Amino acid sequence: MKWKKLLAATLALGISAVVMAGCGSDKAASNGEKALVIGDTTFNSSNEEPDVNPHNAYAGWACIRYGIGETLIKYSDKMELQPWLATKWENVDEFTWKFTLRDDVTFSSGRKMDAAAVKQCLEHLIANNKRAAQDLKIAAIEANGQELIIKTTEPRPALLNYLGDPYGCIIDVDAGFEQGIVAGTGPYIATDIKTDDHLVLKKNEHYWGGTPKLDKITIRTITDGNTLSSALQSGEVQAAYGMAYESYPLFKNDKYNISQISTSRCFFGKMNFDPDSVCADPAVRQAIAMGIDKENFVAKLLDGNGFPANGVFPAGPAFGGDKVKAEKFDLDGAKKVLEAAGWVDTDGDGIREKNGKKLVIKWLTYPSRQELPLLAESAQATLKEIGMQVEINNTADNNQVVKDTKAWDVYAMANVQAPTGDPEYWFTVFATSNATKNQGKYRSARLDALENQLSREFDPAKRAQLALDMQQVVLDDHAFVFCSFLKMSMISKANVKNYTSHACDYYQVTADLDVE
Amino acid sequence: MGAITSMNYAFKRLIQLIPILFGITFLSFLLMYMAGSDAVTEMYSNRGVEVAQEIIDERKAALGLNLSFGEQYINWLWAMLHGDMGVSFVTGENVLKAFLRKLPATLMLTGLSIALTLLISLPCGILAAIRHDRGIDLILRFGSFMGNAMPNFFVAMLLMEFLGIQLGLLPVISSGTDFESALLPTLTLAIAMSAKYMRQVRSAVLEELGKDYVLGAKARGISDSVILWKNVMKAAMLTIMTLLALSIGSLLGGTAIVESIFMWDGVGKLAVDAINMRDYPMIQAYVMWMAIIYVLVNLVADLLYHELDPRIRLGVNGK
Repeated sequence: MKWKKLLAATLALGISAVVMAGCGSDKAASNGEKALVIGDTTFNSSNEEPDVNPHNAYAGWACIRYGIGETLIKYSDKMELQPWLATKWENVDEFTWKFTLRDDVTFSSGRKMDAAAVKQCLEHLIANNKRAAQDLKIAAIEANGQELIIKTTEPRPALLNYLGDPYGCIIDVDAGFEQGIVAGTGPYIATDIKTDDHLVLKKNEHYWGGTPKLDKITIRTITDGNTLSSALQSGEVQAAYGMAYESYPLFKNDKYNISQISTSRCFFGKMNFDPDSVCADPAVRQAIAMGIDKENFVAKLLDGNGFPANGVFPAGPAFGGDKVKAEKFDLDGAKKVLEAAGWVDTDGDGIREKNGKKLVIKWLTYPSRQELPLLAESAQATLKEIGMQVEINNTADNNQVVKDTKAWDVYAMANVQAPTGDPEYWFTVFATSNATKNQGKYRSARLDALENQLSREFDPAKRAQLALDMQQVVLDDHAFVFCSFLKMSMISKANVKNYTSHACDYYQVTADLDVE
Repeated sequence: MGAITSMNYAFKRLIQLIPILFGITFLSFLLMYMAGSDAVTEMYSNRGVEVAQEIIDERKAALGLNLSFGEQYINWLWAMLHGDMGVSFVTGENVLKAFLRKLPATLMLTGLSIALTLLISLPCGILAAIRHDRGIDLILRFGSFMGNAMPNFFVAMLLMEFLGIQLGLLPVISSGTDFESALLPTLTLAIAMSAKYMRQVRSAVLEELGKDYVLGAKARGISDSVILWKNVMKAAMLTIMTLLALSIGSLLGGTAIVESIFMWDGVGKLAVDAINMRDYPMIQAYVMWMAIIYVLVNLVADLLYHELDPRIRLGVNGK
């Protein structure tokens, strides 16, 4: 019976090798330093964040989020502009802005942050980042001590907003860009990076805003939502960004903090004004706007992880929230609108017709945002009740399909409506006659005239009022239907302090971030 | 003479690789093209912020994405025939370098998984065969049935929950390619493979145990262990080796789901990321790698089979 012993020994050896190796695990090992590991689903090259160099694609998001870089101006949670590296600014004329910079700031390289360093940084930015160059439209920069003068090629009322964009992080260009690591002015210094894997930060002992509370922070790129959830539960990460909705219930207890805020990422539908589209009929557009149950969509399908939308922008900014009047969910009202316009169900199949044409809505959307297919299904259900048949085309090829105006009636999409806190961006991208993404060919002379005023208006209060007027035009024409805004959540262990979400989604790591 | 035959055979099989590579790279390119979207669109879509069309068009033109399908494929093929596999559309990194950088992690996971699979399935399979239809056999067969029934990602979730979260024994996310980080993905892969091989080993050993030569050996007073290890296992190894060859082939391609779940930085995860981002050059490199390893691994298995089994070598059926 020797073979029995042999077999038993082999089996036992195999199992114990695995268990013993596992017992060697010591994830709590520490050398006494205060450290934090954050798991993040978004810090990766697929998101155009391969490193932390703000001049490279969208890597400025990582630079500002992880406390490496800071901008001249920052946004409040109402997306209002606040001083940061610039203490004050003044609009000298339509083309000229004068900034006074803080006098107590040094880069992590040791160099003093003065106007010459900022000039060098901004010049490098516009030479290397086309998006920034197009936004900022800088003609010339002058530096004198802590005074910085920026001249633009055309009147640029939103220049301040654009300077708060993550690409506007002020870095020491002379310190170089080795491995995508830069020398910023923030509370933490990047020391090691491996794209799509991790970023290591150490505290900036000379930070102008006070000594950071943590010695070391590691950002782990974890692309799988379930893995991120498991890693937070096992304690391998103590804070998480980008957790999937379905995991939230696991963390709604005393062991964790959940910081939530409404962002300007909006889920909305744009109507097709092509004469062959049923949406060319104003009554159909109005009925669609009245037939989408936003409250139910947010409460049931998004499980409360959103806010019903009214206009283009969320509540918070002077031009956002319920300051504009939009259609309310009203199925009976929608039915009356359709009947008055001649859309009647003559054959009793539940779908209305007019002049022999069925009221069929070709609803185009895409799967990469988990909320969009859900929105399509919600709209399909409620619009059926008013006699509309919604045919969903949920495709990753949406950008090609949307170019064919015969292929869709409603294009449901997601977009960050005011990434820099300025309202003009949205109208010039989606709604004005020459907007780059106005694929539905919506035309409004009044909207174009208001945009012309907005593009030259420097007074923030007047800009806000113009933005409200423009939203009302869009809503009155039922050219778009705004369904919900994303509620962003950041989750951390209960002993992690000041891991707080912000409306702009930028300032994740601050000097106050701590572990108790 | 035998060596020359084997070399001829290997040479013919390698020649066959050329049309396979052409066909498979063309098909994968076509499928990705038909799936719609492209790397630039995906990247901007991920950000959720609209940018000027001019910027998008410029970026696409720089990557050659503005060209027709045929032009894109021919350009890629021409460069590849000159030894240039291109750069990743997403990271800008040289495709070959990126691939080779991630390959050791996959090789390590493959080696460990195969080793653990053998460590579990061989003794269990043999034990089940020797004690067939008795208690231990039924338990092992039930375990094997369960292991086969559970998909990899489910096993991964279970292991994460119990060994990572509840017991805190193993890390759920890998930190490089250290042994500790490799344990959970290795276990995940080994459980599924062991379940399959345990049954195969059991069947192969049972079949051999029922043959006349075993009865004869026993009658001659040869010990059970000698019969088992020197005769039965030698014969059963042919079946096991064929299965292992196929598994090594698929494992060397990276186990996409397991690598992604555990953040194991191998070629499987690389492939998943590349497909999600429509990173054509990276996908093509992966497809070529898969084709090559399948052909090579099967070729090696055939040659070994040829050497190990005298019936094949001598051209007789053994009866």
